[in-house]
Amino acid sequence: MNFPSSLQVGQLAPLKCPWALHCRSMFVAGNGAFLDSTGASFGLGLKNDRLNQMLVLLGHVMVDVAVIGAGQTKYGNHQLGLKGMWAEAAENAFASVDQDFDPRQVDEAFIGSVAFGGGQLGNTAALLTEHSGMEGVPVRRVENACASSGFALRDAWMAIKSGQADVVVAGGIEKMNDLSPERKRFWLGVSGDTEWERLAGLTFPGTYALMARRHFHEHQSTHDDLVHISVKNHMHGFENQHAHLRKQVSFEKAASGFMVADPLTLYDCCPTSDGASCVILAADHVVRQFTDDPVWLRSSGAGSDRLALHDRPSITQLVATQKASKSAYSAAGITANDVDLAEVHDCFTVAEMIATEDLGFTESGQGGMFARDGQGIRNEGSVCINPSGGLKSKGHPLGATGTGQAVEVFKQLRGSVESGRQVRDAQIGITHNVGGSGATCAVHVFGRDRNE
Amino acid sequence: MSDSAQWKGYLISYSNDSLLLQSPYIYSDSPVYGPDSDSTTMTVAGIQYLQTQGHQISAIRLPDSVDARVVFMSTSVDSPQRNEELDSATVDWHVIEGDEARLVLSQSDAEHFEFEEPTGTELIDADLFNDMNAAWELECSKQHVSQGAYVSQSQYLEGGAARLSLASQKFDGQIIWPPRQMDSFGNRLPPEEGLLSDAATVESWTKLSAAGAPSEFSLRAPILGGIQTLLVKFVEGPRGVFLVCDDVDYSPNIGDKIEFGVRRIYAQEGLIRYGLKAIPFIV
Repeated sequence: MNFPSSLQVGQLAPLKCPWALHCRSMFVAGNGAFLDSTGASFGLGLKNDRLNQMLVLLGHVMVDVAVIGAGQTKYGNHQLGLKGMWAEAAENAFASVDQDFDPRQVDEAFIGSVAFGGGQLGNTAALLTEHSGMEGVPVRRVENACASSGFALRDAWMAIKSGQADVVVAGGIEKMNDLSPERKRFWLGVSGDTEWERLAGLTFPGTYALMARRHFHEHQSTHDDLVHISVKNHMHGFENQHAHLRKQVSFEKAASGFMVADPLTLYDCCPTSDGASCVILAADHVVRQFTDDPVWLRSSGAGSDRLALHDRPSITQLVATQKASKSAYSAAGITANDVDLAEVHDCFTVAEMIATEDLGFTESGQGGMFARDGQGIRNEGSVCINPSGGLKSKGHPLGATGTGQAVEVFKQLRGSVESGRQVRDAQIGITHNVGGSGATCAVHVFGRDRNE
Repeated sequence: MSDSAQWKGYLISYSNDSLLLQSPYIYSDSPVYGPDSDSTTMTVAGIQYLQTQGHQISAIRLPDSVDARVVFMSTSVDSPQRNEELDSATVDWHVIEGDEARLVLSQSDAEHFEFEEPTGTELIDADLFNDMNAAWELECSKQHVSQGAYVSQSQYLEGGAARLSLASQKFDGQIIWPPRQMDSFGNRLPPEEGLLSDAATVESWTKLSAAGAPSEFSLRAPILGGIQTLLVKFVEGPRGVFLVCDDVDYSPNIGDKIEFGVRRIYAQEGLIRYGLKAIPFIV
């Protein structure tokens, strides 16, 4: 049975198709083909917007996805190696599940990482699951630069949505601080357009500095606006026991930092962190085996853009973020105004300023004013931006960051973070994970409630 | 009688059938190459100047110190050093290299030329000169390789024409640079055919501290106190990112006009990578 290629939204709403029961595990694959639980194709290709409409329409018969557990290591300069860090994150995630959790129940695993410093380039995911009780589980590494585990989370969500899996692990890990002084530049400029940007001397501090200066020029934002973001995120991260940099900084100190890439100073840049994070997802029909207090992963949106900054029409916005958030909000049936807290990818303060615009928390070009006005501070505005401290304070172990953001949102929505940094009455949270300077982006919407 | 001027960051003296190029930097009373120049970059600049004067250069004989492949990718001028099958009768120009940072491009193979002494020289800081030379010597060794990501030799050569001459694609009424493989319908785009104009406008800029520079620049960035990159927009529409020539003392502003010159970018595995760098436009 095929859908007509000119499918109208209303046509499917009743879903009185002869294979309605089958629909429970039906999945609209990336190529637009409809797959049933056996992998058989119902044919026809649909692209992004149509696909999202389909997912919304099918929402009441498709499986919903919940987060049943989440854990991480502290971010920072770890003595632990890869296996030890991953085991700690997985152990914390397993322990966070309210009922007994046996890792042998996991059907699939997706682990994000960029490069492990070159120490374990191949088959890293299999090595890690082997050491965390998930031996034999189908597993793979997901690599999308700093958005690696954001996309691992998306893949895990899709695996359950497809009906192919009921319990899935998404995680991420990076060990960045164990390189010798001779090899310490390994990480610089690995995820930009190597051929063109690297030959012009650019690494990401430089790339984001170009964006910042252009934003200042086009929108009359200033470096002081970025300083406000730095001060806020350090304040948020101060009480986060998992944060890399647990120290508050004054406006004056943050404004006068060492210049890293003009106009960005040390206080505009996230630290280089080690860390691992792990999230456990479950299909709605098995959730109650594990918890009566799940957090629902209501939608996943993703987008991509040209890798090199100079190949984009504008460098003061990230189209990938705009696409990902539009898709995620639409599928979850929300707007930016509904979001109570957002874990935003602030690898540099300017990245958060631009993200507040691209995610719809303020108008285009108004990110500087948003920060200047103190928006985003915990329990002071309509939305809390980076309650964990963000990448700036919590840290940025590249491959672990995306699922680390999900750990924070899971805990915030369940009210289980340190009491001093709880976002009040939080019902909806999002994660925003960006690869490099914006070539890839994944946005996820989490809620106390399932999609209506 | 000859005319003296500046061209692509070099001093030149031109008469009808020959051109003198000289580095503007002076050390111990002699002209020396700046932080990212050598005989290859100055030869390219010389050929480009002659082309702007209307000379049709079929082929040129180069000294051993000049990278003939880079000259060809930058100017489309071939040489016996690059092309062994080249008919020697077509070689109508010669590059004569002196002991110092001076070159003569001539249609004559005479050993003696008379030019007006170029004006506009400046003393180069002795420590900078010596430190940069030592850094380049280390960097040019075959053992010097990058950490993490890097541009392989084949990748460098694949984009060579676009990087060195601004060769661009024309498709559907648009100029595309750097070159792309397919359009949004999955059709292969045509090969590069035209050149972008040698002028652009600064849209943004940064100066990256030495600690944050890619490993290819790890030896020289500390000497230079960091590296400066401009994001520029060409008249035809495309944008690009470029380092600044010779690390000149230049405080960019958005809207500044710049032009380009071929310079050394870095060396790895014994091969110097060349590319275009930005030169502040002098009205």
